Formats: sequence, C-alpha cells, structure tokens
Amino acid sequence: MVEFEVPEIDYDQYSNRQLAVVPLVVLLVAIAVLAGSWMLTGSPVALGIEFTGGSQLTVESSMSTAEIGSTFSPEPVSIQGVGGEPNQYVLTFEPGSGSVTSLVDQAEGAGMTVLGSGETPATFGQESQRIALIGLAIAFVGMSLLAFALFRTFVPSMAIVISAFSDIMIPLAVLSLLRVKLSLGTVAALLMLIGYSVDSDILLNNHILRRRGDFYESTYAAMRTGVSMTLTSIAAMTVMAVMASFFNITLMAQIGFVLVLGLSVDLMNTYMLNLSLLRWYKLDGVSQ
Amino acid sequence: MNLRENWRVVLLLVFVVGSGIMLLVPGAPPGTAGGSGPTNLQYGIQLDGGTQLQAPPVGITAEEVNVSADNEAALASNVSDALSVDPIDVRVSADSSTVEVFVGNVSQERLRSVLEAAGYQPSTVRDGVTQQTRQEIVDVVSDKLTQSALDSGSVSTIRSTSGQTFVSITAPDRDLGELQSLLDERGVVRVYAFYPADNGTYVRQQVLEQGDFARISPAENQQGQPVVPVTIRETVAEQYQQDMVEYGFGQQTVCNYDREEPQSSRGRCLLATLNGEVVFSGGVEQGLAELYASGEFAKSPTFQMQTRNMSEARELEISLRAGRLPAPLNFEESRSTQLEPALAQQFKLNSLVVGIMAVFAVSGMVYLRYRNPRVALPMIVTALSEVLILLGFVAAVQYPLNLSHIAGFIAVIGTGVDDLIIIADEILQQGEVATGRVFQNRFRKAFWVIGAAAATTILAMSPLTVLGLGDLSGFAIVTIVGVLVGVLVTRPAYGDILRNLVLRQEQREK
Repeated sequence: MVEFEVPEIDYDQYSNRQLAVVPLVVLLVAIAVLAGSWMLTGSPVALGIEFTGGSQLTVESSMSTAEIGSTFSPEPVSIQGVGGEPNQYVLTFEPGSGSVTSLVDQAEGAGMTVLGSGETPATFGQESQRIALIGLAIAFVGMSLLAFALFRTFVPSMAIVISAFSDIMIPLAVLSLLRVKLSLGTVAALLMLIGYSVDSDILLNNHILRRRGDFYESTYAAMRTGVSMTLTSIAAMTVMAVMASFFNITLMAQIGFVLVLGLSVDLMNTYMLNLSLLRWYKLDGVSQ
Repeated sequence: MNLRENWRVVLLLVFVVGSGIMLLVPGAPPGTAGGSGPTNLQYGIQLDGGTQLQAPPVGITAEEVNVSADNEAALASNVSDALSVDPIDVRVSADSSTVEVFVGNVSQERLRSVLEAAGYQPSTVRDGVTQQTRQEIVDVVSDKLTQSALDSGSVSTIRSTSGQTFVSITAPDRDLGELQSLLDERGVVRVYAFYPADNGTYVRQQVLEQGDFARISPAENQQGQPVVPVTIRETVAEQYQQDMVEYGFGQQTVCNYDREEPQSSRGRCLLATLNGEVVFSGGVEQGLAELYASGEFAKSPTFQMQTRNMSEARELEISLRAGRLPAPLNFEESRSTQLEPALAQQFKLNSLVVGIMAVFAVSGMVYLRYRNPRVALPMIVTALSEVLILLGFVAAVQYPLNLSHIAGFIAVIGTGVDDLIIIADEILQQGEVATGRVFQNRFRKAFWVIGAAAATTILAMSPLTVLGLGDLSGFAIVTIVGVLVGVLVTRPAYGDILRNLVLRQEQREK
C-alpha cells in the first residue's frame, strides 16, 4: 500500500540564497513571458469571448468543420470539436458578426441543430475586463493588508504577499504560453488561489513565529500539515479538471486546471521562498 | 456523552437536519409550492436549459425639469411634436421632475434644446431611463413571462460598475428568438370597427385604445370557446356604445375578415390590433348587439373577445393586460446565453459525477495520510455535511444553481478538508491529549490559523459578490457561505468529535 508521509527535508544543506533563487527565477521568467506577450499581442494573456465580446454557438452537425465554417458569413474565427461528442462543435464569432439570432438562423438554415448560443457585446466585454482587474486588485490588496494585520512584522507579512503574487503570476504565464483564453472561470480560480495559497503561508508563519521550539522542528510540523493540505486540494482539483474536460464542462475544467497549477506552484513558493525569508528573518538576526 | 460538552456537534446535527428538510421536504423553503423534482433545488439555465438575456433599456432622460403636474400632458405632447416621435415614447413626470424619451435616435442635445425652447432648464440629460421606468419594465416583462409560460423564469435589473443598468431576464423554457419577440411586442392595442361604408368599400374606425380598458380578465374556455373577457372604462363606455350603434353593430353581425385583402372581407367586424397588426377579429353576437342598441351596455360595459384557440386567447390577453414595455430593450447591446435542455441535463449529471469523484479523491488522500479511520472517517463525513448544509442553504433561498456553484462546492470541500487537517494535526501531535484543557488549548491554536485563512478567502471572494461578473457572483457567494458554515459550525464540531474519539481511546488504553 502507498505510504503518504511528508518527507523531512534537510534544509540545513541549502543557504537562504540557494532556496530563494529558484522560485524568484521562475517568477521572473513568468513576468517576462507575460510582458513579452503584452508587447506582442497587446494583452498579457489571450482573452476569451467574455472579455472581448463576440458570439458563440454550440451546434450538432454531420458536416466537416470546413463545411460548417463556410456556411456562415462572416465565418467563425474558431471551430472546436466537443470531446466525446463526434458531431458537436463550438463556433466562436468575432464581435460585429451580426446578432446571435441571425447566426442561429444561418446555422438552422444549413441544417445544423443549435444546442446553445451566447453573445457578449464588445462594450460588455471591456467592462468585464475592467471589473475582473478591479476584483483581482481589491482581493490582492485586501489579502496583503490582512497579512500585515495578522503578523505585524514586515518580513513575514511580505513573504506571504510575494508568494501569493507569484502563485498568481506563474499560472497566468502558463496560460499565456499555452494560449488558453482567459475566461470568467479562470478569474474565479485566480481569486480562489489567493485564498488557498495564503492558507499554507499563514500556517508556516504561525508555526515558526508564534510557537516556541526549534526552527526546523516547527518547520517540519508546519510542512507535515501544509503539504498534506495542499496535496489534498491538488487531488480534488486534478479530478475536477480531468473529469470536467472529459465531459467538456469548460468552466469547471478551467477552474480546476488553474488551481492545480497554482497549488503546485504554491508548494514551491511556500517551502522555498517563504521559508528562506523566514529563516533569514528568524535566524540571521533581522528580528533582533 | 454529555450534551452540554458536545453542543458543537449538536449544533452541526441541527444544521444538517435543517438543511435536509430544506432540501428534501416539498414546500419547505418559504415561498415555494413544492412538487417538481426530487429536491427543492432550483437550477439555472446552465443545468436546466433556457435563455438568459441582459439588455439595457433604450432611452434618454432629462433630470430636474421643474414641470408641474398640470403641465405634464402639455409638455409631453410638445416634446413628442418637436422631436416627431410617437406620444407613447415620451414620458413626463412631475413627481421625479424628469422627461424621458424612449427612442434610440434622439440625441441628448436635441432633447435639451427642445426642453429649453419650452422654457425648462434640465440640469442633466443622460442616457438611460428612470428607476420608475425600469421597475415598470421589470413588472411588465415578468407579467409577460408568467402569463405565457409554464415555468415563468425571472426578471431583475442589474447595475454595472460604469453606471449602466441592464434588465436581466431568465426564461427557462424558450429560445432567444422567442424571448426577444415576446419582449419586442410593445403591445400597442387598438380596437377598430370595420364595416362597409355606403359606397361598399370597407372603412376602419378606431373605437377603443389601450387606456380605455379598465379590466382584462384571464383567458378562459366558455362552453368550449376560448375567450378573453374585458371591461372598459365607464367614462368611455357611453361613447363606445354610440359608435357601435352608428357603425351598424346594433344588431347581430357576422364577421369574415380577410387578413390578406381586407377589402374582400364580408360582414361587419370588430378588430383588435397589436402594433398595427390584427390579432383579433370577430362579429357581435345577438345579446351584445341588443345591449348596444338599448343603451344597457354602458351600465355594465363588459364584453368578451373570442379567439380560435386557447393560445391565441392567451396572447391576446397578454397584449391587452401586460401592455407594452414602457421602453424597448436594446438587443444590439445585449448579452445572451442559451442552452438546449438536453445539453443542460447532460451537464447536470456530469457535474454531479465530477463532484462525487472529487469527494472520493479527497477521501482517498485523507485516508492515505492518516491511516486511521477514526480520524479520517469523521473528517470526510464532516466535509460532506458541509456540502449538505450548503445545498440546504441554496434550496432555502431558492438560488438557481449553475455550473459555477458546483465548482464552488468542490472548492468548499477542498478548503474544508484543509482546515480539518490542520485541526487533526494540531490535536494529534506528539504528547497525549490527557485533559480537556490541553485539548482546548490545541484546538484554539488550530483555530487561529483556520480563522485567518477563512478571513483571507472571504476577503478575496467578496469583490466578486458585488461586481457584476455574471455567474461568478454565485460562485463567490457559495464559497463565502461555505467558509462561514465551515468556520462557525462544522470545524468546531469536528474538533469535538475528534476529542471524544481520542480521549476515549486513551482512556481505554490506560
């Protein structure tokens, strides 16, 4: 039977600098990816229809994708097959392709069965972009203030804020590289990530700062609990991501995927970046 | 087992039982009739199919127009003449000091200059309509929906952060085209007498307009005949009666109206039009004709409009009763989602499967971690009870469930179990939990971390509840309620359960 026991890592072998450099380099690469994408495409991540505006149809048809495309005027910008359903396709249209009712008429005129449709006007999309940014900003600032309120010291609080920041940036960079389009689901997942990622950081800070005992003992106690927590969440989210993409429930698949990425990154950030900052703060006399 | 010592467990049981009742007993949530489906859960269009449409009303509003109640009508006709728009598209209100024009092509400057020419000084002229008009739109739309559908759907207004207001309509059992045409009907109803003049050609004379109806009763079947009984206002009844006699309806008439070629119709007809289109034509029966002729009709001015079938009768009734939308909705700027019920059913089943699999994954991890069913089993049961309480909450407030909420449930299982792991690790750490006091102390330590983590999650999610990002407010609300239920009810109860198990085990080992 599989033993699931959190290994005790011999942190003594590594200097703070060695520990911190890995997550920081990954973070810098992520920021570079996002900045590069911003310069090349005008947006750090590809935006989905909810943020750019446009129309979407889910149709059932025995025609080939090329035939389906040529049925419409203007033609859809993308035609995606639905997993597990050989004759179902999701068609995406740019904003200004006419009203969704006229697209539905065109599809039905060509003998397709329309299973679903959606439309977001471009103005609505820009509004959503703005709201999503505001939401993320409020959540992040709120979380940072709370971190400072809880620990009331600069280095440990800052450690929480940096690792939460990195937990968001790295998954975003992965989405950007994979050209996955940002949707409302991914924004929700990024917000969830703020909540999840802070859990393990607070746990670690709490064990090291607020309890008596040896630094490494406290660290190991916190790790045992924290790693179990994060792995459990990763298990739940992996199942959600895999099953939901199998069933083609896009929203749940996206939330699951982003959280799996973010939680994995969080393991690195918490037990390398945050830990090295805390050790430097606690042992190298910054606190004295 | 001492009840007072274990009040947290008792509280959890109370919540679980209450949620079970809300979820399963038909009619338990306030304001529901009960009956449909095995649970009291409401499903949104993503899980049940249907159409959702969010559209802004068309119109511009001039504010702080100091018009007196007596001058309302005069200003309204002045404005409609000057802008050459239909009088029904202008609304002047002395109460709110506003003038609204419900036509897309009138600029703010035009309205301002027309008002200034009439001697008024509006402070601002803005896009959009007044709160009162929006409320009326909501009322009329929900009227239209309830009167035309089995499953009525819902209507509300939502406000975007930029200040624009949208009317949001959810109609579970119709597609977008049907919904739009239902809304498009502005329901301008007029009633005409249609009769051959002396030279033999047919003429059409208006005898009633929408405002003349005092009461429109529901469509009904009278001796197998679908009818809509209507009552007209006493103030116009006398005139209407005279008109009818003058146009030859003082005796029984037969109507054979030709919609394609009105001039080739036969007989004398009473016509009702909706937006200029004839929706009803019929002759006058003997009994009613006698009442017109004798002048008795005006004393009790009620008659029935007969239609060919019940659905026509319902449509006629909606047109007459619900009236028109005070302002049309702008479909060009609308956001819509439509899903076929079959696909939605598929999502419903599949997302349930995903949820169950996620629970299995979590349970498996917890078991592998602790290897002790005494610790792991209560953990899983507690996490599940959290989901049950959430489902009970959702059923109690009759919140329509969508995919985002199911994702929220799974997120709640995730955070919930995280916190239970913190509690278990803290309490089961090396050293015996010999006394209640040690237990209390450890539990409090664990709770500090849980409380702090819960506070951050709530904080991170709270912007979503108020910012209008569609479905995500539901996701955020479910997550926040889940975290609150967890911190206040289920996690303290898990602590108690664990204490009982651990203390008893240690006592046994002594």
